[in-house]
Amino acid sequence: MRRSLLRLTAGLAAAFATTTAFAADVKVGVVMGLSGPPAIVDFGESYLQGMKLALKDYMAAGGKHKIEFITYDDEANPQKAVSLVQRLIQNDKVPIVVGTVSSGNVLAFAPILQKAGVPLVAGPSIATNITTQFIDQSPSYIFRCSMVEKFQIDSMLDWGVKTFKKIGLVHSTTGYGNFAAKEIVEGLKARNGNLVATEAVAPNVTDLTPQMLKMKEAGAELILNFHESFELVFRPMSKIGYKPVVAGNWGLSSLKVRDIVGEKEIEGTVMGQALDLSQEGAQKFVARMQSEYGKDFRWPVLAALGYDAAQVVFKALDTAKTLEPEDVRNALEAVDGIKAISATPAKPFGPKDHECLDKEHVFLGVWKNNTVVRLQQ
Amino acid sequence: MSAANFLQLLLSGLTMGALYALTAKGLFVAHLATTRMNFGQGDFLMIGAYISTALLLAKVPVVVVVLVVLVCLAILGWGLERVALRPLDRLKSKAGEYSWVLTTMGVALILQNTATLVWGKSAQYSPPLFSSSRQDVVRILGVGVFVEELIVIAVGFLVVGLFYLFLFKTTAGRAVRVIAFNPDAATLLGIDVKRTISLVFVVAALLAGISGVLAGPIVTVQPHMGLVFTVKALAVAALGGFANPLGVLAGAIIFGIAESFANYFNSSFGDLYPLLIVLGLLIIRPTGLFGEARADVR
Repeated sequence: MRRSLLRLTAGLAAAFATTTAFAADVKVGVVMGLSGPPAIVDFGESYLQGMKLALKDYMAAGGKHKIEFITYDDEANPQKAVSLVQRLIQNDKVPIVVGTVSSGNVLAFAPILQKAGVPLVAGPSIATNITTQFIDQSPSYIFRCSMVEKFQIDSMLDWGVKTFKKIGLVHSTTGYGNFAAKEIVEGLKARNGNLVATEAVAPNVTDLTPQMLKMKEAGAELILNFHESFELVFRPMSKIGYKPVVAGNWGLSSLKVRDIVGEKEIEGTVMGQALDLSQEGAQKFVARMQSEYGKDFRWPVLAALGYDAAQVVFKALDTAKTLEPEDVRNALEAVDGIKAISATPAKPFGPKDHECLDKEHVFLGVWKNNTVVRLQQ
Repeated sequence: MSAANFLQLLLSGLTMGALYALTAKGLFVAHLATTRMNFGQGDFLMIGAYISTALLLAKVPVVVVVLVVLVCLAILGWGLERVALRPLDRLKSKAGEYSWVLTTMGVALILQNTATLVWGKSAQYSPPLFSSSRQDVVRILGVGVFVEELIVIAVGFLVVGLFYLFLFKTTAGRAVRVIAFNPDAATLLGIDVKRTISLVFVVAALLAGISGVLAGPIVTVQPHMGLVFTVKALAVAALGGFANPLGVLAGAIIFGIAESFANYFNSSFGDLYPLLIVLGLLIIRPTGLFGEARADVR
């Protein structure tokens, strides 16, 4: 009898072990901007690099599921992004989707995922209203692990108004640029400030000499740079003898932008940040990314948020009751104990908070001695 | 506007105008001899810029860089004519009258994708050609100009001048003009029409290659940069008149300066105004500013 019990226990243990070792394969849908305008590609590839490293670490640590990314390139095209998300829902039957770079694309497909009841972890898109427009729905399926435009602009304006008398704005005429400009104008108004010059610039211009001359004439000491071609404002500065402080989108922390602009020229440039490179953990992560991707690694904060987004998704899949989208959503909201690389907290989400980064996690970074460190205010 | 800013904008406009002139000259010479153009002329420029950037980053001397770019672009121009254009002649009526538009655009797409595969999708910035840093500035009447910009203006005018000499003072140039006048007559005169047409596309590609080398240090290099140059070069050629090489140069300078000032006064639509000027002008003068008022200006 005792021997039979032992056999039964061993059998059950083996069966359990087998179940654990061969848990169902899970497909995670990823829609990302991997071709099109260079800025979009840099964002998309960097975020995806972080996600892939997180998957490698998860598998190496003996992850509960065998996870596979079903990755599609939306080419920064909203129609394509929508059709890819529909494909992920209907054909690939993924329980969760991550993506994409362009906020317009996310805003186009988020309602589809919300209606289908499939959770979305948006990123690296940054438009403020991506999660807020769904948060009052019960339940909301829209989450995000990325910078939030309003938070970085608020941090920048708090500092800018305090530090400079004359502020100018250069923004692109794309949806993104116009949206950022609107938030900046409203934010400055709320702080009793104003812009001494505003230059809206088409996305494909090659030379900003005329616009920078206008900034110089207006005496702008700080230029808020919200154009996707981050390097353009820097180029005419030395020839027109004008060296204002530049602050802007977190894109200004890209190593690629530094290489294009020049180490000396980018020194002192300020941007929204969520990764403190003076921290040992961040430095180790950067070293790992460099050894993993070599010269293709170009954006620490983007890769860090991609890594953290994937960590959050894997944890939700591990802790969900089942792999049904609704259970994954519930698990996502309850995820806790994340050891994030970026400023993402251990428990990123709650019933009324679907952002990995909240206002208090976003800070200003500055290029100093060839690295981005926290701006001391 | 201060006089200094006026001069600054003028020089910026001249720089871009010189680049547009070189690109538009390629369209002009091809159109002159064949009534066809390479709709990937800007993408040829892009390839020139990428090869130049890659070699300069590898610390290859500038003279070697220029030679390599010219050789590569010459092969590309020759290949374009042999692969994407000449077969259409053999097809005669089976190929549509404007099928060359599609084949040259197809080559442009292939070049964009090749550049993406070889050099990646990110934007790049070429090291300076003749100065020690990207910030080397010289002052003209109190206005700062990058050394690279001055070189673009100087080389742009020099190459356009050489091109003019080629067209009017050399046997090959005369052959091009005879073919432009009447290909059958050219054959009767013993001119190798096929070889001359190949030469025309090689010259067009060389002009794009020179533009690419010069553009690398002053604009951002990326796989899709060519389209803007093609569109603006077309506008420039239309503005100056497709029949007049000096008209193309004048059109490019007018376009570049108009663009610079338009961006100063209204940057939201700065690039639009020069194109509107071209459209307006074409309504009044369909052959362009310096074109001849005949249906077939050849």
